[in-house]
Amino acid sequence: MAGDLKSYFEAVGRTPLLSRQEEVELSKRIESGDQRARDQMIRANIRLAVSIAKKYSNKGCDLEDLIQESSLGLIKAVDRFDWRKGFKFSTYAYWWIKQSVRQHVAAQSGSIKLPAYAKGTLFKMRQLTEEYEEEFGIAPTQQEIADLLGTTLSTLQSIIKSAATTVSLDGSAFQSDPESNKRMHEMLVDDSLPDLDSEIDKNHLTHVVREALTNLTPREETVLRLRFGISELDLDGSLL
Amino acid sequence: MPMPKGFKAENGYATTKQFAGGDDYRSIAEKMTKDGYKMNHATARNIFLSALQKIARPVHGVHNIPVSGDKLLKTAKDPRFQVGVAEILNTIHSRQK
Repeated sequence: MAGDLKSYFEAVGRTPLLSRQEEVELSKRIESGDQRARDQMIRANIRLAVSIAKKYSNKGCDLEDLIQESSLGLIKAVDRFDWRKGFKFSTYAYWWIKQSVRQHVAAQSGSIKLPAYAKGTLFKMRQLTEEYEEEFGIAPTQQEIADLLGTTLSTLQSIIKSAATTVSLDGSAFQSDPESNKRMHEMLVDDSLPDLDSEIDKNHLTHVVREALTNLTPREETVLRLRFGISELDLDGSLL
Repeated sequence: MPMPKGFKAENGYATTKQFAGGDDYRSIAEKMTKDGYKMNHATARNIFLSALQKIARPVHGVHNIPVSGDKLLKTAKDPRFQVGVAEILNTIHSRQK
């Protein structure tokens, strides 16, 4: 799979970019129904589609799917491009490609599908946070965001929680190295286990105290036991 | 009339409530007297603190704390130290079971 992508990138890299004049000429031919001109326009701009797709590769979607979606966005842009407006094609296509990829990411990433209102709330929350930070220099609290959006704190928190990117426990632990043998579940800390350092310290201290206990007189040892509510101690045993 | 200013231990006092099944000094004195070690509650307390000071000495060494009579007594009286020692003794006891 990785080999296929590599050869695809190589093929994409070989296609020459278009000049402004060539873009206009091709656009005119596309308008007159020239299919070959359309194909050439798409091929010449596929590099842009790939570069945008790559930017979203860390959002939990396959790069191949992202490239496919960005290519669909590119095709849409080619079909709708109006050369008369004077913009460069890449400027126009960028937004179509980006929209297409974003829609795919929103629909595919994460195992929890969010309803439209939740996505809307998240979008508004991000926008609001940016504006707030710009104006006051600090990030707003979740309570402030909830108040400004006219929702409750618990609703906002549950939307944020649901929108969090899910990670497969069997997936690679390092996103930068998908071929790594280390799995995510191998890297997670088991909080139920005692801390190794404190266990070593405790064992050492237990040993020290145990040594000290052998220096107690029988009277001291009995008083200590009675005070601590311990029935009996075999301090000569080698259980530690 | 203001209350007289008394001594207040820095970290409070250890009580029998902190040691499940532990006896107070009077009960310890009674039991010890029955077993042939005649003593009153104050002696029971002194013996208890003396035992704890013996334990505190090597612990001070581990943590590089100066070993002097005052400091050892202060550690022995510290409820946190007493709870810690009780915990260790309970660990030893439970491993022996």
